[in-house]
Amino acid sequence: MLETEPVLPLMLALSAAMFSIGALGVLVRRNPLVLFMCIELMLNSVNLAFVTFGRFLDSEEGQVFAFMVIVVAAAEVVVGLALITQIFQTGRELDVDELSEMKE
Amino acid sequence: MGSIFATGLAAGLLGLPLVGSGANALLGQYLNPATGRRVVAWIGPGVVLLSFVAAVMVLLGVVGTSSTDHATTIELWRWLDLGSHGLRVNVSVTFDPLSALMLMVITGVGFLIHWYSVGYMEHDATPHRFFAYMNLFIFSMVLLVLAANLVILIVGWALVALSSYLLIGYWYERPAAVLAARKAFVTQVIGDLGLVIAAFMILTRLRSPSLDLLQIFTGARESFGYGTLYLTGICTLLAIGAFAKSAQFPLHTWLPDAMEGPTPVSALIHAATMVTAGVYLIARFHPLFDLAPVAQGMVAAVGMGTAFMAGYIALSQIDIKRVIAYSTMSQIGLMTFAVGIGAYTAGMFHFATHALFKALLFLAAGNVIHALHEEQDIRAMGGLAIRMRWTNACFLVGSFALAGIPIFAGWFSKEEILGLAWLRGPMAPLLWFAGVGVNVLTGLYAFRLYFAVFHGEPATARCLAAREARPVMLVPVMVLAAGSLVGGLVMLPGIPGIAGRNLIDEFLTPVVVSFGGHVLSEATVATAASTLAAGTLLSLLGVGLAYRWCYLRRPDAATVASRLPRLLTQLSLHKFYFDEVYDAILVRPWRFLANALKRVVEPRVMDGWVGGLTNFFGEVSLDFRFLQTGLVRDYASMTLGAAGLFVLVMVVWIAR
Repeated sequence: MLETEPVLPLMLALSAAMFSIGALGVLVRRNPLVLFMCIELMLNSVNLAFVTFGRFLDSEEGQVFAFMVIVVAAAEVVVGLALITQIFQTGRELDVDELSEMKE
Repeated sequence: MGSIFATGLAAGLLGLPLVGSGANALLGQYLNPATGRRVVAWIGPGVVLLSFVAAVMVLLGVVGTSSTDHATTIELWRWLDLGSHGLRVNVSVTFDPLSALMLMVITGVGFLIHWYSVGYMEHDATPHRFFAYMNLFIFSMVLLVLAANLVILIVGWALVALSSYLLIGYWYERPAAVLAARKAFVTQVIGDLGLVIAAFMILTRLRSPSLDLLQIFTGARESFGYGTLYLTGICTLLAIGAFAKSAQFPLHTWLPDAMEGPTPVSALIHAATMVTAGVYLIARFHPLFDLAPVAQGMVAAVGMGTAFMAGYIALSQIDIKRVIAYSTMSQIGLMTFAVGIGAYTAGMFHFATHALFKALLFLAAGNVIHALHEEQDIRAMGGLAIRMRWTNACFLVGSFALAGIPIFAGWFSKEEILGLAWLRGPMAPLLWFAGVGVNVLTGLYAFRLYFAVFHGEPATARCLAAREARPVMLVPVMVLAAGSLVGGLVMLPGIPGIAGRNLIDEFLTPVVVSFGGHVLSEATVATAASTLAAGTLLSLLGVGLAYRWCYLRRPDAATVASRLPRLLTQLSLHKFYFDEVYDAILVRPWRFLANALKRVVEPRVMDGWVGGLTNFFGEVSLDFRFLQTGLVRDYASMTLGAAGLFVLVMVVWIAR
C-alpha cells in the first residue's frame, strides 16, 4: 500500500516515543499502579509498531500479533491487580521500593 | 437527508455526550466545589438537550424521506482492515425510522432524567462523576442504536453494560451496591458472549468481508437458509444476548439488585433505555428471526413467561424500587413476547410508551424516597397523597398507564400486543390467556404500590413531615406524566374499527415489517375489538382487586400474595428462589472446588517440590545476591540495558 509509506516513519516514531515514555515511567515511578500503566504503554507502543508494519507489508500478521499481545497484557493485568489489591489489604503503603522482602 | 448534514448530525449525537462526559470528569474535580457543581449541572443535561435537538432533526429528516429512501448510512471512518480477504469494519451509522424512534426516547427521556438528577444528586459529594457516567451512558446507547455494523453495535452494547456497572456501583462505599454492580456486569458478559459468538457464526457463513447489518440482512436467506439449525443457533445466541440485557429469564436476577444505584439511574438505564436494548436487538435483526421460527417461538415463550413471573413476584415485594423493577421486567417480557411473535412495531411502540410511564414512576418514587430521607420500604410509607399532591397525581397517571387503563399510553401499546397475540400463531389462545393474566397482575401490583405509598395512615413520623419536591425534581416528572397521558393517542387511528390506520406501523414499516405486512380483514377486526375489550376489563379487574384488598379493607398491604396458598406465597416472596438456586448450582461448587484445591492440592502436591526447588536455587544463587537490590527500577534498567545492547549488536552486525 503505497499511500501509507510517508506515514510509516511517523507511526514508528510515535511508537518509539510511547515506548520510551513507558520505559522511563517504569524506571522512575514507585507506585505499582502507575508502573502497570507504564508497562501497558510500552506494550501498546509495540502493538502500534506491529500494526504499522502489518499495514506497510499488507499482511494480517501484524494485527494478529497485536491481538496476542492484548490477550497477554490482559492476563498480566489480572495477576498484577490481584497482587496490588492483596498488598493493599494488608494495609501497607503502595510503593515498590518498600516491597522488597523477597531479596532477603 | 444530505450526506454532509447527516454526518454533522451523527457527529453531534455521538460527540456531544462524549465530550460532555469528558468535560464533567475533567473539570468537576479542578473547579472549587460550588462552581464545579453549577458547571457540571449545566454541562450534564445541556449536552443531552442538544443531542435531543439533533434527534428531532433526525426524526424530521426520516419522516420527510420517501419509503424507498428510508435509511441513510454514513461511513465516518474505516476502523479495521485485515487485508484484501480479511474482515473490514467501518465506523458507520444509520438513520432510519427505528433508530430515530430509539433516539427520541434515549435523548428525550434522557434529558428529563438528567435535569431531574440535578435536584436529586444535590447533596452528593461527586456530582461530576455522576454526570460523567450518565453522559457516557447516553453516548454508548446512541452508538448502540445508530450502529450500521455489527462490530460497532457490539461496542455500544458493551459500553452500555460498562456505564450501567459504573452507575449501579456509584455509591461504592456500600457493599451491596458493589456486589449488585458486579452481578449485573457478570450477567451482561454472558450476554455479550452470546452476541460475539453469533457474530462469528454470521461472519463464517456470510462470505462477505464486512459485518455491515445491511449486508447481513440482504444476504440472510442465501447464506443461512430458512429455518436451518445453523440460523436457529445464531438467533438463539442473539436472543441470549438480548435476554441478559433485557433481564429476561433465566438471566434476570441482576435487575432487582441494580436498584442499589441512584434512582435517576434506575429510571434511565434500568427502566427506560438500556434494558430495552434486547428488544431493539431482536427488532433490528428481524430479517434473521423471521427465517428462524423455532428461535422466534422460544423468544415469545420466554418473554411471556418472564412477564408472568415478574408480575407475580412484584405482588409481594416491599421495596418501592424493587416493585417497579419487577414491573419493568414484566413489561419488557411483554415487549420480548411481541417481537417473538413477529409484532415488531407493536413491541417498539410499547418500548416508547413504557419508557415514558416507567421513567415517570421511578422519578416519582425518587421524590417519595427523597422526601422520606432515603426510606424505600413501603410498609414505612402511607398517607402521602395530601402531603405531596403533585407527585401523587403524577404517580397515579403512571400507575394508570402501567395498568393499561383506557386512553393512558400503556393501554394502547399493551392491548395492541395482546390483540396481535390472539390473531397470531398456533399457540395463540394459550399465550393470550397468559397475557391477560399479566394484565390482572399488573393492575394488582401497580395499585397495591400506589395505595400503600400514598393512602392509608402514615406509618412513621417521617411520612407526617414529608414535603413536596422542589420544581427541579417535579417539572421533569410532570412532563413525563403529560407524555404518559397523551403519548398513546398517536395510536388512536389504529384501534380496530376506527380508521384502520396504524401510524406507528406506517412509520416503522420501511425497516421492520410485522408478519410480512398482513392486513386486518373484517372478521379479524371484530376479533381484535373483542380481545381489546376483554383485556381492558381484566386490567380493570386487577385495579379493582387492589382497591378492595389494599385500600378499602387495608390489611397488610405488603402481602397481597398471602391470600393464595402458602407455597405460591413463598414463591413470590422469595422471587422463585432464583438467587438461591444459582448460588447452589454455580457459586457453591466453584467455592467448594477452590477450597478443596487449597486444602488438599496446595499443601500436599504443590508445596513440597516447589519448596525444594526454591531451596536448591537459594543455595546455588548465594554468590549472585548482590545483584538483587530489591528495587524494581534496578531490574528494569538491567533488562532495558541488555535489550539495548542486543539491538546495538544486531544493528552493528547487520550493518557490517
